[in-house]
Amino acid sequence: MAEPLLDARDLVKHYGSVEALRGASFTAYAGEVVSLIGDNGAGKSTLVKCLSGAEQPDSGTISFDGRTISLPTPTAARALGIETVYQDLAVAPDLDPAANLFLGRELRKPGVLGWLGVLDKKEMRRLATSSFGDLGVTLQSVDVPIGSLSGGQRQSVAVARSVVWASKLVFMDEPTAALGVVQRERVLDVIKRVRDQGMAVVLISHNMPEVLAVSDRVEVLRLGRRVARFRAADTTVEELVGAMTGALSQEDA
Amino acid sequence: MTSDVRERTLAKRLFSANTLWIALVLLVLIAVFGAIRPDAVLTTFTLQTTLVETSVLLVLSVGMTYVIITSGIDLSVGSVLVFSGVTSAMTMNAMNDGNATDAGWGTVLVGLVVALVSGAAWGLLNGLLVAKTGIPPLIVTLGSFGAALGAGQLISNGSNVSGVPDVLSDNLGTGTWFGIPNLVLLAAVVTGIGALVLATTRFGRYTYAIGSNEEAARRVGIAVTGHLVKVYLLAGTLAGLAGFMALAYFRVASITGHDTDNLNAIAGVVLGGTSLFGGAGSIVGTVLGVFIPAVLRKGFVIVGVNVYWQPIAVAIVLVAAVWFDQSRRRARNQR
Amino acid sequence: MSTRTVALLGAALLLTACGGGGQIGDTGGTGDNKKMVLIPGVAAEPFYISMECGFREAAKAKGYEVDVQAPAKFDSTLQTPIVTGVLANKPGAVLIAPTDDKAMAGPMKQLKDAGIKVVEVDTKLEDTSIAVSTVSSNNEQGGQLAARTLAKLVGEKPGSVLVLNTKAGTSTTDARAKGFEDEIKKFPNLKYVGQQYTDNEPDQAASKLTATLAANPDLIGVFATNLNTGEGAATGLRNAGRTGAVNLVGFDASPKQVQDLRAGAVQALIAQDPATIGRTGVEQAVAALEGGTAERDIETDLVALTKDDMDANEKYFYKQQC
Repeated sequence: MAEPLLDARDLVKHYGSVEALRGASFTAYAGEVVSLIGDNGAGKSTLVKCLSGAEQPDSGTISFDGRTISLPTPTAARALGIETVYQDLAVAPDLDPAANLFLGRELRKPGVLGWLGVLDKKEMRRLATSSFGDLGVTLQSVDVPIGSLSGGQRQSVAVARSVVWASKLVFMDEPTAALGVVQRERVLDVIKRVRDQGMAVVLISHNMPEVLAVSDRVEVLRLGRRVARFRAADTTVEELVGAMTGALSQEDA
Repeated sequence: MTSDVRERTLAKRLFSANTLWIALVLLVLIAVFGAIRPDAVLTTFTLQTTLVETSVLLVLSVGMTYVIITSGIDLSVGSVLVFSGVTSAMTMNAMNDGNATDAGWGTVLVGLVVALVSGAAWGLLNGLLVAKTGIPPLIVTLGSFGAALGAGQLISNGSNVSGVPDVLSDNLGTGTWFGIPNLVLLAAVVTGIGALVLATTRFGRYTYAIGSNEEAARRVGIAVTGHLVKVYLLAGTLAGLAGFMALAYFRVASITGHDTDNLNAIAGVVLGGTSLFGGAGSIVGTVLGVFIPAVLRKGFVIVGVNVYWQPIAVAIVLVAAVWFDQSRRRARNQR
Repeated sequence: MSTRTVALLGAALLLTACGGGGQIGDTGGTGDNKKMVLIPGVAAEPFYISMECGFREAAKAKGYEVDVQAPAKFDSTLQTPIVTGVLANKPGAVLIAPTDDKAMAGPMKQLKDAGIKVVEVDTKLEDTSIAVSTVSSNNEQGGQLAARTLAKLVGEKPGSVLVLNTKAGTSTTDARAKGFEDEIKKFPNLKYVGQQYTDNEPDQAASKLTATLAANPDLIGVFATNLNTGEGAATGLRNAGRTGAVNLVGFDASPKQVQDLRAGAVQALIAQDPATIGRTGVEQAVAALEGGTAERDIETDLVALTKDDMDANEKYFYKQQC
C-alpha cells in the first residue's frame, strides 16, 4: 500500500496520574478495514478519542493525507471527513432516524423560510430513506423516535449516520456489541461496502472471529502502546490474543 | 428499500398519541360541564373570559415548554413576571411625574421595552448560569425565583405598583378586535410563533436534540452552551412580556399575586405531554395543558361543585398525565 | 432530567413553599426597659406601615426608643428568627402580629419567659396566656359591615351576591367571610351564592368571578376579603364589562384601593384602623411595663368608605410611609 491516510505517532495522554497512552502509534490506509484491538484498559477508546477530536493528546503527532494536523474538536475532525460511531450510542432517542441522520447538518428550505431557519424535513426524510436503503438498514418508519426502535436498529442508524457523512475515514467503537446475528451481519456488510468505496474503516472490537472476518489488517494495543501489527489473512485468533496479553510482541510495531 | 420505510400521515404526526389523549380530556371536560349548564358554559362570554384569563399563563408556558424540552426547568418565571411588571410600571410612572394613568402610547412603548429587557436580563442570567457553570437548572432558577421577587420588592418598596396607562389597559387589557380580546390575540400570536419555531426550525430541532441527549448534540457539533442560553433567554423575555400583559390586564403590578405562576406553567406544560425528562413535547400540547386547569376551575365554579374538590381534581389529572408519560417511556426503553 | 433532579425539584418546591430570605434582628446588648419593638406580619404593606406610624408616634410620646423588624413575607418561618433576634436585645416590650396562631407560640413564649411584655396587634395566638393584651380589628364585624354596606349600595334590587376569599383556613379572612354570610341573610332581596377561594391569586379571583357571572347572570354584589382578591375581582368585572353594575366591596384601604374607589372600580371599602391599633398597643405595653394593668382584649373600629364619603374619612386611608 501507498502512503497511509492516517498516521499517528507516539501519542501520549494522561488523565491526572493515569497514563492512558504511552507513546501509542496507529496507521490506517484508504480502502482498508483496520481493526484496533487490545484488552480492557489498553487505551483503545482514548486513542480513538484523540484521533476523532474528542480529546487532545499531550504529545505526539498526527498526520492525515500527508499533512500534520491537530484536532481540537470533533467538528475539526468531521471537516476532514473523519466520522465516529461511539460505543455509547450518540443518538438522540426522542428524534426520528432522519433527524438523527441529519443532526447538526440539517437541511433548510430554500429562500426566506430557510433563512429563518425552517427545516426541509421532507427532503431530509427522502434522503435519509434512500441512504438507509443504500446501506441495507431496514426501518419500519423514518419518523418515529429512534428510542422506540430496537437496539440493533438504533445502532444501524448510528453507523449509517457516520458512514453517510464520512468521506475519508470512519471510526467504529464496538459497533456490533449490542446486535443480534442478522443485524451484526448487516453492519459488517456496511463496513465492507464503505471500504469498497475507498474509505478507511477503523473497527474496535473484542470479537476476534469478527475481527478476522472483516479486517484487512489488525493493530494491537497493550498498556497504551502499539505492540503488534498483522495482516488479517496471515494471522490467527491465538496470535491476536497472544499479542493482547503480552505473550507475543513484535520488534518493529 | 424505500417501500419498507413508511411515513406517518400529517394528522398522525400533529396529534401524537399523547397530545390526542390530552385533547380528549379537555373536550370531555367541556362536554361534561356543558351538559350540566349549557346556558352558562357554552356561551361567548365564558369562552371570551376563559381565554383572556389564560392568556398570561399561556405566554409563560410557551417559554417554559422550550426550557423543559431541553430537560431543564425554570422556577423563576413568576418572579420575573413580577419584576418586569414592577420595573415597567415604575418606569412609566417616572416618565409621567409619578402617575402614568393618562400617559400616551410613547410611554406604553417604553414600558413594553423595559418589561421585555427586564425579563430578558433574568433569562440571560439563568441561561449563563445553567449552561456555563453546570449548576442544575432547578437550583439556578430557584435562586433567581427568590432574587427576582426580592429585587421587585426592593424597587417597589414591597407594595403593588399602580398608575398603569389607561390606553394600555383599555386596548391591550380589555380591548377586542372583531370580538376577540386583544390580550388573547397577542397570546395566540406568541404561541403560534413559538409552536412554528419549535416544530419547524433548526432552533427547535436543536432544543429537542439537547434535551434528548445533550452529549450526542455536543458530539455532532451543536453549540449546546449557546443554545441553552438562548432558550432561557427566550423564557425570560416571554416572562417579561407576560408581566407587561398582566399590567394591562390587572392595571397593577402585583407583588404577591404570582407566587404559584411558575408551578401553574410547569403543570400546564407537563399536562400537555412535554416530558420533564426532556426531548419530547409540543406547544400544541402545552396549549391544551394550560386550558385543562383553567376549564376545571371555571367549570367547577359554574356548576357549583364544592370548592375544595377543585385542586384535588387538578392534581389527579396532572399526576395521571405524568404517570402516563413515564410508563410510555418505560415501555419504549425496555425494547 | 434525571430522577435525582426530579427529587430535587420536589425538595425545592418544599423550600419555595417555605419561602426564602428574611432577616434576623440585631443581636447582643443587654436588657433595656425603655425600648419597644414592633414585629409586623410582613414588611412594606400599607396596613402595617400605618400601624407602624401609630406605634412610632405613641411610643416616642411616652419616651420609648423604637425599633421595627418585619419579615419579608407573611410566614412564620421568616418571623421566628426575627423574634429570637429581638429576644437577644431584651427590649421592654414587643408588639407583634403573629403570622401563625400556633407556630409562633413557641418563640413568643420565649419573649414572655425573658420578662418581655408581649402585646398582640392585628392577629393573635390560639394560646391566650402569652400576651398581656390583644389589639385587633373585629374581622367578623368587618364582614357584617361589608354586608350592610353592600345592601345599602344595592338598595331594593334583587340579585345574587358572592364572597371571594383568599386561602382556606386563614382566620382573619374566614372571619370576614363568616360575618358577611351571617349578616347578608338579613336582606331577603339578596341571594348568597357562597364563597370561592382564590389562593390569594388575582388571576384566580378574576376567573372565579367571571365563572360566577356566567352561572348567575343576576350577580349584583361581590365581597372580596382582601387586597389581592379585590384586585382580581375588579379585573374580572372590567373584563366582563360589568364594572359598577356589580357592586364590589373590598377590604382594607391601601393607596391603590383608595384610587380604585375614587375611579369607580370598587364601590366600597371596609377599612381597618391600623394606626389606632398601633397606638393602643403601645398604651397597653406601657401600662404593663409601668405597673398598671393592661386590658386583655381590645377591638378597634372598622369603617365603611364609599365614593361619596371617602374624602371626609381620609384619616382611614392606609399610608405608604409615615
